[in-house]
Amino acid sequence: MTQPQDLPKEAGHRLEELEHGLFTSDLSVNEFLLIKEAGFHPLGFVMGSSIYHTGIQARRWSKSQELTKLTEAMYNARELAMTRMEEEADQLGADGVVGVRLDVNYYEWGRDAAEFIAVGTAVKAEDGTSHRNAQGKPFTSDLSGQDFWTIMQTGYVPQGLVMGTCVFHIAHRGIGQTLGTVGQNVELPNFTQALYEARELAMTRMQDEANTLGATGIVGVRLEEKSHQWGSHTIEFLSLGTAVTKSSGEVTLPKPITIISLDN
Amino acid sequence: MDDASIDPDATGDDGDLPEAAGRRLGSGSFSSGLTVPDFAACLQMGLAPVALVQGFCVMQWGWYGQGSPYSRGMTPYAFSGPSVPRGVYSESYQCPHGGYSYSNEHRVWGQNYQQPWVESAWAEGFTSSYTRMVEEATEVGAHGIIGVVDTTRHLADMNVTEFHMLGTAVVVRGVAAPSGATPWTTYLAGQRLAKLVEAGYMPVSVVASLASVRVWAYCVTEMLMEGRPLSAYGAGGYLPVAEVEQLSRAHIAARSLAREHVRSQLGHDTLQGAAIVANTQSLAQGDEVIECALRGTRVRRFKDFDPLPAPRPTVRLS
Repeated sequence: MTQPQDLPKEAGHRLEELEHGLFTSDLSVNEFLLIKEAGFHPLGFVMGSSIYHTGIQARRWSKSQELTKLTEAMYNARELAMTRMEEEADQLGADGVVGVRLDVNYYEWGRDAAEFIAVGTAVKAEDGTSHRNAQGKPFTSDLSGQDFWTIMQTGYVPQGLVMGTCVFHIAHRGIGQTLGTVGQNVELPNFTQALYEARELAMTRMQDEANTLGATGIVGVRLEEKSHQWGSHTIEFLSLGTAVTKSSGEVTLPKPITIISLDN
Repeated sequence: MDDASIDPDATGDDGDLPEAAGRRLGSGSFSSGLTVPDFAACLQMGLAPVALVQGFCVMQWGWYGQGSPYSRGMTPYAFSGPSVPRGVYSESYQCPHGGYSYSNEHRVWGQNYQQPWVESAWAEGFTSSYTRMVEEATEVGAHGIIGVVDTTRHLADMNVTEFHMLGTAVVVRGVAAPSGATPWTTYLAGQRLAKLVEAGYMPVSVVASLASVRVWAYCVTEMLMEGRPLSAYGAGGYLPVAEVEQLSRAHIAARSLAREHVRSQLGHDTLQGAAIVANTQSLAQGDEVIECALRGTRVRRFKDFDPLPAPRPTVRLS
């Protein structure tokens, strides 16, 4: 078991208590049932946090461009939070973390600082087989308990929560461009290309992370957009999903049956 | 007029995808926007996800356009003139009180009229983003695109509207990659798609259309909307329980036009999972723009319906 590098002292105390058998989790009762049914048991609620100063980057009024410094900052901050959560899971000897949520909070006392938080429930296989990912770390996943059970039935196993981000500045239109299209409903190719490019970059980076983990695919991809505090022309595009690999052996999924609910 | 016609045979060969899209689609791993239950149902049906595919189009969104009141001048006599397409919806309402001779609030006439220039712009944005999504799917050799989600939003302070279309490209396992064929598309995914196929229908393409009707309120509509007594002079009179006929007819017309636009795209096929959404933008004193979007999946019968086994009764414990 590796020792956590930069976890607060209180985290160590809390995790020590969890190692003695008590577990905490944010799973619902149904999720708990299905995690157990999938052959895992929860070890503890784990979290990681990072307060990051995102700084500023010069942008040109009339040029659509990626703001690489901001992209880097948003990426690093989330990675730090995720890594700390993984360290907590690692200290518990977990095989993985399910139900991971990634949030960003801004506080009044730090105008350009944001807190990045990652939370989830660490789980371990009951039969003792290792389900750690190709890098030997606990897998992470934003799947719920129900989704975790279902994905295991399909013969796929989660490898990691993968993400890609891109902070992009969308160019303003000049007076000439604006006047040239007055009175028309027309496509604005520069806006289209800028937004398109930004989302594709975010998704490409997410897929690169999945490839690093040796994943065969990503399920449940979400695309999120936020301007945070940068104004409407600067947008962060975040792509998130759970990378999965096909486990060995052929899996035959049961044919769904029809049911009729007797509930009201 | 131009409907938001989705040509199921559109090859999407514009060749205007960003360079990053080519790199992403060339990556070895698949990506999918499907939820896990939908992913499981997809595998159960013999479909394998290939890539999350998307298309965009950003349109400038103006009030103007060929046929708009700003280019032809306002008239109470419905649409006329060579620049206005035939067959567009329009109806006028005459002030029953004698018009401006009483006061300014008594407009001589009011009008409901269809806005084909808005509908055409919407159709262009929708079709461009659709075509680009299909182009991405064609590039990865997909047979179809499932779980399509299309969104339209106005970007803050840019006076533009963005059309975004997203879906999961799939291949049918054990079937060779299509050569030259256009992928089919559907809003459905997971069990809903499985049930459709079980019922003997295959998706052909997503179908969507927007109808836009502008309400230029006349005095009766204004007074009823403000809850004022229906009096010619603005004083006295009574407050009747009455239908606001001009608005009712505009809402009916918007929905009816949206249905007509979609019906014209179906050919001999049928529409499944139709969803109609109407948005009303209030301009002033009963003046409104009603935009009605109708979406669904065009489906085609390919086999007879196999009777399902009797359902098993269940009781949820939660």
